[in-house]
Amino acid sequence: MPKCTINGKEIEVKDGTTIMEAMYQHGMRIAHYCYHPSLSIAGVCRLCMVEIEGNPRVQIACNTTVTEGMKINNTSQKVKDAVKWTLDFHLINHPLDCPVCDQAGECGLQDQYMEFGKYDPEMAEKKQKKHKVVDLGPTVVLDSERCILCSRCVRFTKEVSKTNELGIFNRGDRSEIGTYDGQPLNNKYSLNTVDICPVGALTSKDFRFRQRVWYLKEGETLCNGCSTGCSIKTYFNKEGFFRVKPVQNDKVNGYWMCDEGRDLYKFVNREARMLKGQKRSASGWEMMVPGAVAKDAAQVVKTAGQGLALVLTGQYTSEEYDAIINSFKNELKTTKIFHWNNNKETADQFDGLLIRGDKNPNTKGLIQAMQKHGVQTEWNQLIEGLKNGSITTVVVAGPENLMGYADYMEKVKLLSTAKNLIWMQSTKHQILDSLMGQVWLVPMKSYVEKEGTFVNYAGLEQKFKKVTTVVSEALTLTEAASVLSGQQIMVKPDTNVLIEANRSQDKVMMEHKKKNEFIFRRGPL
Amino acid sequence: METKLLTEHYEKDEFRGLDGYKKNGGYEVLKKALKMQPQQIIDEVKASGLRGRGGAGFSTGTKWGFLPKNGEPRYLLCNADEGEPGTCKDRVMMERAPHQLIEGMIISGFAIGSHKGYIYIRGEYFYPRRVLEQAVKEAYAAGLLGKNILGSGFDFDLDVYSGAGAYICGEETALISSLEGKKGQPKLKPPFPAVQGYLRKPTIVNNVETLAAVVPIIRDGAAAYKKFGTEKSPGTKLFSLSGNVVKPGNYEIPLGTPLKDLIFKIGGGMKPGRKLKACIPGGSSAPVLTAEEVEKANLDYESIASLGSMLGSGAVIVIDDSQCMVDLLGVLMHFYSHESCGQCTPCREGTGWLNKIVHSILTGRGRLQDIDLLIKVADNMKGRTICALSDAAALPVLSFVSKFRDEFEYYVREGRSKVKGTSYAEMHH
Amino acid sequence: MSIVQRNSEVNKWYLPGIIGGLFITGKHLLTNLLNRKKMPTLNYPEEKHEYSPRFKGNHVLTVKKDGSLRCTACMLCATNCPAQCITIVAAEHDDPNVEKYPINYEIDMLRCIFCGFCEEACPVDAIRMGPEWQTPGLSGSTFSYDIQRLAYRPQLKGGIQTYVDDEERHKAGI
Repeated sequence: MPKCTINGKEIEVKDGTTIMEAMYQHGMRIAHYCYHPSLSIAGVCRLCMVEIEGNPRVQIACNTTVTEGMKINNTSQKVKDAVKWTLDFHLINHPLDCPVCDQAGECGLQDQYMEFGKYDPEMAEKKQKKHKVVDLGPTVVLDSERCILCSRCVRFTKEVSKTNELGIFNRGDRSEIGTYDGQPLNNKYSLNTVDICPVGALTSKDFRFRQRVWYLKEGETLCNGCSTGCSIKTYFNKEGFFRVKPVQNDKVNGYWMCDEGRDLYKFVNREARMLKGQKRSASGWEMMVPGAVAKDAAQVVKTAGQGLALVLTGQYTSEEYDAIINSFKNELKTTKIFHWNNNKETADQFDGLLIRGDKNPNTKGLIQAMQKHGVQTEWNQLIEGLKNGSITTVVVAGPENLMGYADYMEKVKLLSTAKNLIWMQSTKHQILDSLMGQVWLVPMKSYVEKEGTFVNYAGLEQKFKKVTTVVSEALTLTEAASVLSGQQIMVKPDTNVLIEANRSQDKVMMEHKKKNEFIFRRGPL
Repeated sequence: METKLLTEHYEKDEFRGLDGYKKNGGYEVLKKALKMQPQQIIDEVKASGLRGRGGAGFSTGTKWGFLPKNGEPRYLLCNADEGEPGTCKDRVMMERAPHQLIEGMIISGFAIGSHKGYIYIRGEYFYPRRVLEQAVKEAYAAGLLGKNILGSGFDFDLDVYSGAGAYICGEETALISSLEGKKGQPKLKPPFPAVQGYLRKPTIVNNVETLAAVVPIIRDGAAAYKKFGTEKSPGTKLFSLSGNVVKPGNYEIPLGTPLKDLIFKIGGGMKPGRKLKACIPGGSSAPVLTAEEVEKANLDYESIASLGSMLGSGAVIVIDDSQCMVDLLGVLMHFYSHESCGQCTPCREGTGWLNKIVHSILTGRGRLQDIDLLIKVADNMKGRTICALSDAAALPVLSFVSKFRDEFEYYVREGRSKVKGTSYAEMHH
Repeated sequence: MSIVQRNSEVNKWYLPGIIGGLFITGKHLLTNLLNRKKMPTLNYPEEKHEYSPRFKGNHVLTVKKDGSLRCTACMLCATNCPAQCITIVAAEHDDPNVEKYPINYEIDMLRCIFCGFCEEACPVDAIRMGPEWQTPGLSGSTFSYDIQRLAYRPQLKGGIQTYVDDEERHKAGI
């Protein structure tokens, strides 16, 4: 356990800790581009310079191990000069196209320039020309001129995705990132390269040019794409959600997430959502407010008696399962509660990094809730009940993410054989509109609009908070459970649609962001 | 003056073949060495004070001492990627006496306990490679390589590996990367190659001349070797004399010989009517010495270092008063910006920037502040990167600009060379 | 503004005030009648006032030599706009040298306060405020200007070009 002094502060670190790690562990700031905590050390950006007492040369912090009694500082004039010049070397061939660059606003070069730079450029020569708009694969576009060759993306494909598509070609200031012939960047984790790119060289085709980042607000939640349960950050503004990025979570996903999970904002946006409740009776479809549809359906549910069944999918929170199973079992007196298991065969598949076969975030939570309430049913009982007419009314908590539901159509057809069908779901689907018979469609809230707990494949309970509201009238499963069991609930319509939920960690972020004078001096956008 | 310790038989054509080499006392030293203890050989080399002939001048015996003392497999690499502009000594050694190198490698391999050696030869050296490959084949046939060499029970395999023409692969970690089949880029240190090198195993990388010099050291003993040269820089060394001298070529002389003796006595001095203006003593990466400094300089590591330059690989480039220093710097900067591997930012961008500034001066677009900018850029490239290439590019700039500033200022003001009186376009067409 | 009240005795007499006022009116009437050129009143709309060429009137989107929009859809004008009246939708251009361009650019003229911040924020001189100021309309929707109106309205005769030469800039590596 060597002791060292960094910027006058005496700290003790574990053996083999680098200066960079030591500074991070103790909350000290240091500039860097190529260093990434979960990739190997490249030591090429040369920005993390520190001065070590007794060493005439400045050293890089990422590859220097702390030894006993080391005196380190990164605030001296010598270090500042070194960083300024290294930054200048990064910038001399970097195009000044911040206005059209998607990274502007969250760019490492801009941040460091504001902190260490603010000098008059002395570069009077022509800049190096390289390839623009290089199509690397189905998800990523490269702009070689903006690239600072930190090699993070190359190391990612080498060490994390282990697909080795990217490499640095040519040498000197003609170096460029590229893919090998006939091997495009096409793996299930390719968009992580965009996240770790400190500049705007790699951009995601999905997000490219859709928004300027300073128009986006952010909120953390959990991914509901599969049973891994990665921590994610969603980016949105009043027009809807635009992208999803991973958040560091050492217990689950580290720093990464899969490309599939990044598409999950799409079914949350209004255009994919069921906005109004609908009721189909003999006279045809009738539009209603979600609460009213649920209330209307409650009358049927109440009279159904033993003919009532509940079908649950693994896409709701544990709290919601608890509430709805509780009210169906204790108030509506039915134990016909079924688990719609959409991917029984593939549930245990795992690709070795993050992606799991079970495409529901909370299958474990559902099973736990059913066990807790002593519900033990088989899917066949439901089929039989529907066949022999002992089940007349079916309440379905349908999936919000239909991606893993290959059997969706088949199941809708099966369940619509019931006399009364109450279908609760957040996303719209054509087949629901073409249903015949007595149908109630109740719009539900999606995972970004509520708080709760997901239990992942390993049984890890992860709480998450609400990000914002997209469809303010939609119900959560807890609210729906209360309404269906005949209770009056007060649902205050959320008027702050698509405004960041007011949370303490956001305020910290805001404080941090205020340093960005360009945006924040003029107040909110 | 010339002391032919290594180059004694270089004039003889037969020395290239195994028989001719043996006739002139070849492989006798190997027999002697294989009877010694490995540690004895290391001690002998350490006692001789032999310093690496590749450029850095690091003590060879000490380098071998860094190897871990366990039974881990280890590799001996011979750095024959002689890319430094001005240097051509290794080429002669490999062409004229391939077996001398092989013998030196077997002895060194025996000393450090390595059973596998590689000769990493520069891509452009087609002929030396052919000669070496032929010699290795001969040595295998004669039982000098392979299993149980000369009945001593020691196994040593040797392969010749050709580079693909990158200057940076002369840097030892880049050489290792290249040999591993990767892009030839230097690796971060630590870990040093002696701990984790080729295939992550302990590795020793030595220059051709260093490994060959092991042969006379073991033959005559450390004390005899130390008779040549100075106290801190013992032995003889091959110097590649080039530039504006009457007799350019490779000369083996004891270290510590005055530089002016090499230029004027051995090299035959300047061409008629010309005066010495400057001299680069150790390959293009070394800072240039002015004519006055040449007077004071001795060809040993310490004397040259005291003048702010380096002995490097021993490539003495002589510049007479007909040469334009701005033009020369332009040539050097083009070389370094072309050869930078592109890994570290200061070097990748800095070499390109320096090249552009020098060429904008040369083409008449220079500004007076560009001269100071050259110094500033070079100053901030120095010592900021993984390997020494950025230093190698920065040092000539610093010395050229500070010692011949008047020529640069004249060029910027007049748009033409002070010495030649012509512009860049006229000089090169 | 504060009003000073003078409660002196003289002010209680209204006649001097009225006569003084009438005198000023009469003086202007006479000077205007005698020197009609100096009369500030214009017979709008037959006569119009000449504004300075720098007058900040309705926006113009400038075009390149080939007639396409200069705008790169960087949204700095929209970001800088204090009235938040600019809406831009960006898209990817087929030409890699252009990269990004607006497929929709709308200014809500009724919200615009003509401050000129958009013009100042623009890094490529793509938006300017022109000399036009008479823009009547019958309904609110006519005040939402789109690309067609901003860049190619008939008064602009095929679009305004700027002095910036894109090819030169590109060669210089800007």
